[in-house]
Amino acid sequence: MNMERLGIHALGVLLVLGTVGCDEKLSSITGPTPNLAPTFASIQQNIFNVSDSSGRLACIQCHTDQGRTPTGNLVLLEGRSYQNIVGRPSTGKPGETIVIPGDPDNSYIVKKLEGASDIAGVRMPRGNGPFLTPGQMVVIRRWIEQGAQNN
Amino acid sequence: MALILAARMASAQTPAAPASQSDPDQDLNLVQPDFSLVGLPTTLRLPRHKGSFRVTHRFTRPLGQGSFGSLAGDLFALDSGAQIGLEYRYGLLRGTQVGFNRTNDRTIQFFAEHEVKGQSASFPVTITAIGSAEGTNNFRDSYSPGIGALVSRTITDRLALYVEPIWINNTNLLPSEVVDHNDTTILGLGARLRIRPTVYISVEGSPRVAGYAPGVAQIGVGIEKRAGGHLFQMNFSNGLGTMPGAIARGGGSNSDWFLGFNIARKFW
Repeated sequence: MNMERLGIHALGVLLVLGTVGCDEKLSSITGPTPNLAPTFASIQQNIFNVSDSSGRLACIQCHTDQGRTPTGNLVLLEGRSYQNIVGRPSTGKPGETIVIPGDPDNSYIVKKLEGASDIAGVRMPRGNGPFLTPGQMVVIRRWIEQGAQNN
Repeated sequence: MALILAARMASAQTPAAPASQSDPDQDLNLVQPDFSLVGLPTTLRLPRHKGSFRVTHRFTRPLGQGSFGSLAGDLFALDSGAQIGLEYRYGLLRGTQVGFNRTNDRTIQFFAEHEVKGQSASFPVTITAIGSAEGTNNFRDSYSPGIGALVSRTITDRLALYVEPIWINNTNLLPSEVVDHNDTTILGLGARLRIRPTVYISVEGSPRVAGYAPGVAQIGVGIEKRAGGHLFQMNFSNGLGTMPGAIARGGGSNSDWFLGFNIARKFW
C-alpha cells in the first residue's frame, strides 16, 4: 500500500470516527439541577422535592398536606403527585388540565411554571423567583410530550 | 459595482493560469470554476500541494425588512452587520483536499473531500466523498460532524449539475434526550450555468429529507464573474449558512432574503 492510499484510508477512518457520538449533554441545559431528566421520577426528585442551587423553592414546600392546607389543594408529595396532576383538572382555573399527556403547550402546569398570561393566580414557584430555567422547562415539556409516563 | 470593479482589476492583474503539462488538475475547468456554488461544495479537484482561499460574506439585514427608503439608506444592508467566513483548502493528495472554514459566529469547520470516481466517457458522473466537522465557540463546544457524497454531471463546458446527499449529526443543539431528531439529512441540489465566457449563474437548494428540519430549506442564487484565479460572486439566499451543519439548519423563512458575496482565489 503506497503512502497516498494509506493517507486516504487514515482520513476515512478519522472522518468515520468523527461522526460518531456527538451530542450535547443533558446537564448542559438543566443548569442548577444537573441530574434532571425527562422522567417523572427525576422531575419529582429534582423539581418537586428539593430546592436547587439557584435558590428556587421546592414545590412541596407549599404543595403538601403535612401540617398545613396544600396550596391550590394540590399535593405534590412523592407517591401521590402523579395521580394528582396527570389528566386531573386544575382547581385554580376551571377548564384547564394540569398535565395533558402529549400536549405540553396546553398543560396547565407548564403555563403556571412559565407564567403564561392566561393563568389564574401567580406564576410558580410563588414569589418573585427564581423560576425554573428554560432548560429545566425543556425537560418537563419533553416528559409531557412523550406521554407523561409514570416512569 | 464594487465587485465588478474588483473583478476587472483582478482580471487586469492576474492572467489566466496556463495549462499545466504535469498536473491536469491545474488546468482551468470552464464549467466548474470554483469549489463552491453559493454555499454547497462542488466536485472541483484541487491540485496536489496547491491551495485556495474563499471569503464568504452575508449581510444579516433581510432585504425585505423596513421600507425601501430605509433599505436604500442602509445601502441595501451593507451598513448592517454581516456574517463573514474565511475558508482555506489545500490539495493534500491527488483528488483529495482538506480545509477549514471559520465564520464570525465563532464556528470552525474542518473538512476533507476525496474524489472516488471521475466523470469520463465510460462513467456519467463524478462522485466525491466529503466529511466535515463543525464546532461552535472556536471548535470547543457543540460539534456537528457530517458525511456525504457530492455527485456532479457536467454537460459540455456550459452546465454543471449537482446532487449532494449529506448526513449531519447533532444539528439540533439540544440534547438528544429532549428532542425527536438530533441529526439531519439534506439533499443538496445545485447547478452552475456559464452564460458568458467568464460569467456564471449558480443556484442551489438544500431540502431536508430526514431528521431535524427547523425553518425552511436554505436556497440561494448567485451571479459570478471569473477573473484569472479569482471568482467573484454576488448572491441572494434565504439563510446565512455556508457550512453543511448551518445549511442543514435551514433559513428562517422564505420571505427573508439576504444579500451576500463570495470571493475565491486559487493559488497556482
